[in-house]
Amino acid sequence: MNFYECVKAYPEGSSSASRMALTARNLGYKGIIICNCDPTRIFMLPAAERVTGIEIAVGAEVVASNVRALKSRISTLRTRYPFLVVHGVTDEIVRIASEDPNVDLLVYPCESRRPLSIATAKAAKLNQVSIGFDLSPLIHLRGSQRARWLAAVSRNLQLVRKFELSSIITAGAKSHLDLRSPHDLAALAEVAGFGPEEAEEAMSRQGMLLAQNRRHWVGPGVELL
Amino acid sequence: MRSRLPVLRSRRRYMAFELETEGPGGFIQPKDLMSEIASSQFSLFGDEGASRNRIKLIAFNGRYGLIRFSHVLIPQTRATLAAVHSIRGIRVAIHSKGISGTIKSATEKYLPRLSKLSAESDGRRIELKDVSGCIIRTQGVKVDLCPDDRDKSVGSDTRYMGLTSFDLSGGHEDADGTADGL
Repeated sequence: MNFYECVKAYPEGSSSASRMALTARNLGYKGIIICNCDPTRIFMLPAAERVTGIEIAVGAEVVASNVRALKSRISTLRTRYPFLVVHGVTDEIVRIASEDPNVDLLVYPCESRRPLSIATAKAAKLNQVSIGFDLSPLIHLRGSQRARWLAAVSRNLQLVRKFELSSIITAGAKSHLDLRSPHDLAALAEVAGFGPEEAEEAMSRQGMLLAQNRRHWVGPGVELL
Repeated sequence: MRSRLPVLRSRRRYMAFELETEGPGGFIQPKDLMSEIASSQFSLFGDEGASRNRIKLIAFNGRYGLIRFSHVLIPQTRATLAAVHSIRGIRVAIHSKGISGTIKSATEKYLPRLSKLSAESDGRRIELKDVSGCIIRTQGVKVDLCPDDRDKSVGSDTRYMGLTSFDLSGGHEDADGTADGL
């Protein structure tokens, strides 16, 4: 299968885009999507394109101070980048992102006090927004914090299965040392409660979305050939 | 003590792995690595899980290594290794290379014979528009850089920045990412 991974490159991460690409290629990824908050300031992007054998796509993470700004930023970035990510920091951002079909991926923070709500799940299903699971807490946390995080993931996963939402797994890499191979990431996902096939599908969905967004859609279901 | 019947002996698998560290490599001792792996396993699967899968470090040369584990617990072992993120305060990543039934075949299939372990810390400086600092290590086209501005790598929990020679002017002209023999 063609596995893709969302990463953050320098200056928002600590590794350059080319180092990320080189590591991801050696680990067996088909491509990486660089999702910086400001994609125009990615350090030495042309250097990353010199790394052969891996597809490098530039997406964007949408961040805004308020709801109004978030909406306008989503519609502005949609035309420029084929992949848009929103991190659900607050309930309001989660609501806006799940109700906007322009958003590709909503990375939901797995917190025991703030589980994925039924309203969000229904809206995400209606607008074809994928729910992202960032597995970096599984690597970086230990003890009771990780136990709480695992409990929150399994609760969110129940809702994702119930509403048949499309899920995406990412390691949330900000450095080349945060990247894990698709096999290792699938093994971590299995610990978090994903099934083996579910995990594989969740790792290849980014590529499918990327290919779909690169086509010229003039309206819902109408493609310009 | 009477030896066990061969059919009752637990079956084993061998996993070859690569340890990637930030900065100068070769400082990670096998003892430290094994204690971190054991800690990761106990933390993820508990005492009961660890008792069913006794991971043993067979060999480790500072970069590549081989572990032994139970043949039915492959995903758990992969997860145990993937969950290791630092050893004695040094950021690391363990990437599994492959699994085999014998030490010989795992070594022949997955471990490169001539692995370059040299870490040249040549003290060269990089002065670019966006980044400046001292080169800590070069390995093939990979370059680890200690930035002058320590805030550059804040938030990602690393001390050094990961770059390649493609990023730096005057780097390898024909470098294609395979110079380290992988």
